[in-house]
Amino acid sequence: MDLFGSYALLLAFALAIYAIAGGIAAVITRRPLLIKSARNAGFAVCVLIWLGMASLVYLFFTDNFTMAYVAEHSNRNLATFYKISAVWSGQEGSLLFWSFLLSIYVFSALFAYRGKHPELMPYVGVVLAAVQLFFLTLNNFVASPFKVFAATSGGGVMHLVSQADGHGLNPLLQYPEMVIHPPVLYSGYTGFTIPFAFAMAALLGRYPGEKWIHLTRRWTMIAWCFQSAGILLGAHWAYAVLGWGGYWSWDPVENASLMPWLTGTAFLHSVMMQEKRGMMRVWNVWLVFTTFLLVIFGTFLTRSGVVSSVHAFAQSSIGRWFVGFLILAIAVCLAAFLKNRDYLRSDNQLDSMLSRESSFLFNNLILLVACVAVLSGTLFPVLSEAVRGTKISVGAPFFNRVNIPIAMFLLFLTGVGPLLAWRKTSVESLRRNFGWPLLAGIVGAVIAVAFGLRDFYVTLCLLLSAFVTFTILSEFYRGARVISARTGSNLLSSARQLTMRNTRRYGGYVIHFGMVLIFIGICGQAFNQDKQMDMSAGSVMTIGPYRLHLQNFDSDQQPNYSSERATIDVDQGGRSVMMLYPQRRFYPSNEESGTMVAISSTLREDLYVVYAGRSPDSNLPVIHAYLNPLVKWIWLGGVIVVLGTILALLPNRHAVLVMSPATESAFVPAGAQPARASISARAQIPRDND
Amino acid sequence: MTERRRLALIFSVVVGIASAMLPLHVDAQKTERAKVLGARLMCMCGCGQILTQCNHLNCPSSGPMLKELDQHVAAGEADDLIVQDFVQEYGEKVLSAPPSTGFNSIAWYIPGVAFAVGLGIVMVVIRLWRQRDIARLAAAPGAPASAATPASEARNVQLERARQQADRETED
Repeated sequence: MDLFGSYALLLAFALAIYAIAGGIAAVITRRPLLIKSARNAGFAVCVLIWLGMASLVYLFFTDNFTMAYVAEHSNRNLATFYKISAVWSGQEGSLLFWSFLLSIYVFSALFAYRGKHPELMPYVGVVLAAVQLFFLTLNNFVASPFKVFAATSGGGVMHLVSQADGHGLNPLLQYPEMVIHPPVLYSGYTGFTIPFAFAMAALLGRYPGEKWIHLTRRWTMIAWCFQSAGILLGAHWAYAVLGWGGYWSWDPVENASLMPWLTGTAFLHSVMMQEKRGMMRVWNVWLVFTTFLLVIFGTFLTRSGVVSSVHAFAQSSIGRWFVGFLILAIAVCLAAFLKNRDYLRSDNQLDSMLSRESSFLFNNLILLVACVAVLSGTLFPVLSEAVRGTKISVGAPFFNRVNIPIAMFLLFLTGVGPLLAWRKTSVESLRRNFGWPLLAGIVGAVIAVAFGLRDFYVTLCLLLSAFVTFTILSEFYRGARVISARTGSNLLSSARQLTMRNTRRYGGYVIHFGMVLIFIGICGQAFNQDKQMDMSAGSVMTIGPYRLHLQNFDSDQQPNYSSERATIDVDQGGRSVMMLYPQRRFYPSNEESGTMVAISSTLREDLYVVYAGRSPDSNLPVIHAYLNPLVKWIWLGGVIVVLGTILALLPNRHAVLVMSPATESAFVPAGAQPARASISARAQIPRDND
Repeated sequence: MTERRRLALIFSVVVGIASAMLPLHVDAQKTERAKVLGARLMCMCGCGQILTQCNHLNCPSSGPMLKELDQHVAAGEADDLIVQDFVQEYGEKVLSAPPSTGFNSIAWYIPGVAFAVGLGIVMVVIRLWRQRDIARLAAAPGAPASAATPASEARNVQLERARQQADRETED
């Protein structure tokens, strides 16, 4: 099976070369047979990568310890569930997994547009195959997961050697979320390849119009959705497993996932300017390019060891391959842009500063500044070492201080954007639309201050959150009221109809609301408390309104680990409210230990209890308790962001146009017959968003 | 119920829910000086975590460092002096954020400079686009050649109305 996997990947590598060469020949000659042949080669590459991946999964499930990668990351007692996640737990497997997920996207794109857009797709096929070729080069020649243990016998004959058992999976990865977090996050990373390929293809082929934008918008949203969910799942994993009471530490690997998310978010906003007004073509192409380049750069950061991170893979020489690919990709992007930049020329015009267009410009500015702040902070230790010879640390205090004002500005724009009309907003309309949301924000802030809040940014965040929430609610309310007045249905039903008639717009509002919840959740961090104690049975720790009574300790023996567990009775106001069981596990196969945090989570706060082990001084168990307010809002916000994205991906339900007498005469061009009818209700206009 | 009342009701409900969710023991928070100072330092075990957040049991660095920090705080030393002691002992790497002086202060300036440059570019772009728009209107056939007359005013109002209608119909 190892040979099968190796051969499949080698064949995929050869066919990827053919797909590129054939695709280029097809672009030049325009011969249909060649176009089809290159496309079929693209399909074959994908299928072969799937076979390679299936082969590796099979080797893990059959405990084939002649395979170096399997022996390194699995063992016989590892639960079947975790044998899945063990497949991508190391450098080699995760790179193959990357190729695998990319191949699903590639196959889907090639299949969805087979026989369509003949001017564009051959270029797309070439770009996709080129990206696949890079990863297949790594899979085959740099970090192959199919290396075997072998020994030479006395006669000089080489034979396979099987290990008795494997080293097992890193305990930190033996957590259910780790089975889904990497696939979701990688789906985000790899998904950004599709818009990149279309943008590059449109530029190289000088494909007319905004069609590529329409074609790739959904792909970008899918990738963005996965990236968002992946980042939040990673944050939740860090929260639930690492046991330090937080969910985001501005670690370089975390930052690597955030940067393409920021530029992807900027693209999803500015793309509307191109769709609606034909503006910002150059900017959008570069946003797509930058997002893809940041994906590759992030992968380089994670895998090269250039910056130290608890999440990074083992240091290896693979980084130079990524640097090479990154340089090549930047060169190709620049060359394509310089050669065909006249194709991107657009007649950008701005009717007014007070317009949706200008709000998007500022939104893009802020998102890009956030990206620069994260990137510079992540790389600054390397720069400092190169210039001064001494390494410095750039930790959470730096990132928080720099990014919190940026985030506040972004939150403000989230509320302002929907209140501004395309082209021009009159001051009167601004006053009308801003009044209530602004009042809501101010009252929210006053209430927060009355409750004793004194932190400036937290108060500002609550003010802006109330402002944005009210803006979103009023958008739904205004639209639903029009439908309700026409159809007689109640407001809720009207809001549902409204949403389904323009899923992209209202899905976007749902996403904004999810982001508001995330912001509120992050605000809770300002009130975190924690306490650590060496505790024996019967001792009590008080944190916030809770008293933690340590009842006893017990131990357990599982096939893959042994554990020590504390039983803690939590009371509030003298009444027992819950039992918590924090654990500490020891994994003999790799001689590592890990924590299983006990978390009691409510919308108000999380009581987070870690059994940190035994104190070296007293030999007593150490219990570390945290009281983290509003954390659940972050996860809830994440779910709403994902649901909002799914909603925005749904096709619009088209309404029937109803012509009715207009209340005012519409403007009639000279020479035309005066008309007394106009499309009367906004809610009844079918929206063409695609 | 009037629209204003309805909006006010919705608003009250939203604010009410949000305020009910706020932790009630906010005032129970106490600022512990050692914790604040600890957040300005990194654990030196290589975990990349803030000193007060390092959760490795028997960590060779965080335990002794925290003890040292407590001693400094108990001795009533000034914050900057304590931090400086750690820098002398462990080097600048012990700081959780780059110092605001010397070469490393550049890290603090980069986001601000990026914002200023970006803002400048946005403003230039907006001005350029606005000029184009004005030039387009001036060059448009049938554009008024002289100052506004009552007839052209009316036409402008009609144009504006039509444009607003189109905006509403195409907004997203």
